[in-house]
Amino acid sequence: MKFILIFLILAFAIVAPLIWTTDYWHHLMVLAAIYAIVALGLNFTLGLTGQLSLAQAAFWGIGAYTSALLTVRHELSFWIGLPAAAAVSALFGILLGFPSFKLSGHYLAMTTIGFGIIVRLVLQNETDLTGGADGIAGIPAPTLLGFDIDDNRKFYYFALGFLILLSIVALRVQHSRAGRAFQAIRENEMAASATGVNINRYKLIAFMFSALYAGIAGSLYAHSAGYISPDTFSFDQSVIFLVMLVLGGSGSVYGTLLGAILITFLPEWLRFLKSYYMAVYGAGVLLMMIFLPTGMWGLLEMIHERIIGKPVEVIPPLDRPGEPRKAELSVGAKK
Amino acid sequence: MDCFLSVVYCNGFRQWTTDNGQRSVDFITFLQLIISGLAMGAIYALVALGFVLIYNAVGIVNFAQGEFIMIPAFFGITALVTWYLPVPVAYSLVLAAMVVFGLVFELIAYYPLRNRPFLPVVISTIGASILLKNLAQNIWGAIPLRFPGLFETGTLNLGGLRIGLQHLLILGVTLILLILQYLLFEKTLLGKKMQATAQDKQTARLMGIPINKMIALTFIYSALLGGVAALLVAPILNVTKDMGGPIALKAFSSSIIGGFGSIPGAILGGLFVGVIEAIAGKYYSAYTDGVAFFVLIAVLLFRPQGIFGERIAEKA
Repeated sequence: MKFILIFLILAFAIVAPLIWTTDYWHHLMVLAAIYAIVALGLNFTLGLTGQLSLAQAAFWGIGAYTSALLTVRHELSFWIGLPAAAAVSALFGILLGFPSFKLSGHYLAMTTIGFGIIVRLVLQNETDLTGGADGIAGIPAPTLLGFDIDDNRKFYYFALGFLILLSIVALRVQHSRAGRAFQAIRENEMAASATGVNINRYKLIAFMFSALYAGIAGSLYAHSAGYISPDTFSFDQSVIFLVMLVLGGSGSVYGTLLGAILITFLPEWLRFLKSYYMAVYGAGVLLMMIFLPTGMWGLLEMIHERIIGKPVEVIPPLDRPGEPRKAELSVGAKK
Repeated sequence: MDCFLSVVYCNGFRQWTTDNGQRSVDFITFLQLIISGLAMGAIYALVALGFVLIYNAVGIVNFAQGEFIMIPAFFGITALVTWYLPVPVAYSLVLAAMVVFGLVFELIAYYPLRNRPFLPVVISTIGASILLKNLAQNIWGAIPLRFPGLFETGTLNLGGLRIGLQHLLILGVTLILLILQYLLFEKTLLGKKMQATAQDKQTARLMGIPINKMIALTFIYSALLGGVAALLVAPILNVTKDMGGPIALKAFSSSIIGGFGSIPGAILGGLFVGVIEAIAGKYYSAYTDGVAFFVLIAVLLFRPQGIFGERIAEKA
């Protein structure tokens, strides 16, 4: 049953560009795949480990700039730019992981917001290094086995390949020793520590994975758009990634993918509302939080449970309703 | 990061200590910077108070706090420019509208989620923020608007020391507001009920305090604080749908720098960030908007309880 479902979704993802054939829709599909990769990264920190990070757009930007600078200024291949982007971004991820040893909840959130804003200011002001507010233009399209991936339709399949690969990695990690350690930290740090989980080490690993995914997505974004500027990698974008994750279903790979796709296309489906579409989008986010506390995936799971009688996959809820708020989230800084 | 801050300080002090000829002039420049910094800091302090009061009452950080400044600024423009009302009427009308706004905000973005954990509530305030920003853009347009000030660009000249009248107004009004707030929370039964609700909801409920009403009142008061901050600061900024975001983020960092959850911490943190930002902005202007966050990260790494954390350990 599960495999049939996954097969159907994959088949749909492959056929989709043939159904919606305009270049604009292909562009949106590329974006959806890239956003999904970034959101999958955020799932490691927030969804699995429970560390509220709002710097995801900054990691995405670091990846995009690394790859763009290497290919434009140093004329290296995309295939060097991509791993370099992933590595540089992951390095910054580890760096941002260190404050999470001491901080949690709002304090960690604010630190990551601060980091994101500083990264954006550096991108904007260090003109010699980053091109400043003008950004970087003329980023070459990647080539794969001699083929130029130079339009949105080709790039969609290219990005989809990365997305599938990274989704499989995310699922494997989630069900590995590290994944269980992440979830143990989320549920109760002290209990996790008592059972021998090295909390600090796994927090760093979670931050590294989250930045690594964002870095890869950043490189893909730079090479699909051909032009990047600091404005794209703003705090607002980090918030959108957070909304994708929580609306889709934080803690679940499938939920995250669902959220990313939904949030990318939702504004398009609301276009008929003309200038009010973003306002309705905001109201929609608000209403979904009121009526779907476990996200879209939680809803699908509940429906499935009603029909089949057992859950598809055990997804621990974000926080159980009725329970007191997590102590760490209200107390904040720890000793 | 450290060297960045020290550069700011070194330049700031070097200019008026080493060069004798320039000394008096630069000292006055420095004083002016401090005063305009304090004025901006007072705004951060008012917004930070709005954050902290809501946080203490319900345990969530309101990501739409910036819209608590943006909305009244637009209300003010409608009242002053479109309807051409006299200033006292317009200002009262804006504050009255903010009472309604605070209540409606609480009923929509918080009340239905009151028994939910932290994250869904945060996302719902983010949704509310997107909604409000785009509604504002639809109603008032995307072009930055100018808010007519009381004094235009008038300054007070004290022996070479020029102080903007708007800055003085900001400092004066903030001071009066803080005294009123102190009286409200410490000397009235209503204030004590609100404090009791913030400290322990269950016990407060057992004492017969209508906690949902107190929480609604907290949101209303927070919106009023935003309204006052907006009326004070809008004349020196452009009014756009995005004007609130940066102020709110800096106010939020101020409250953490001061010691999160503490009312004096929010005020002192706000003033501190305002002054540091003004000084840094003078000598290192490209990174003005990052200053609050450099300070924040340094404070969180070395003194997570906040600069004023110990002296004001008591939670208001």
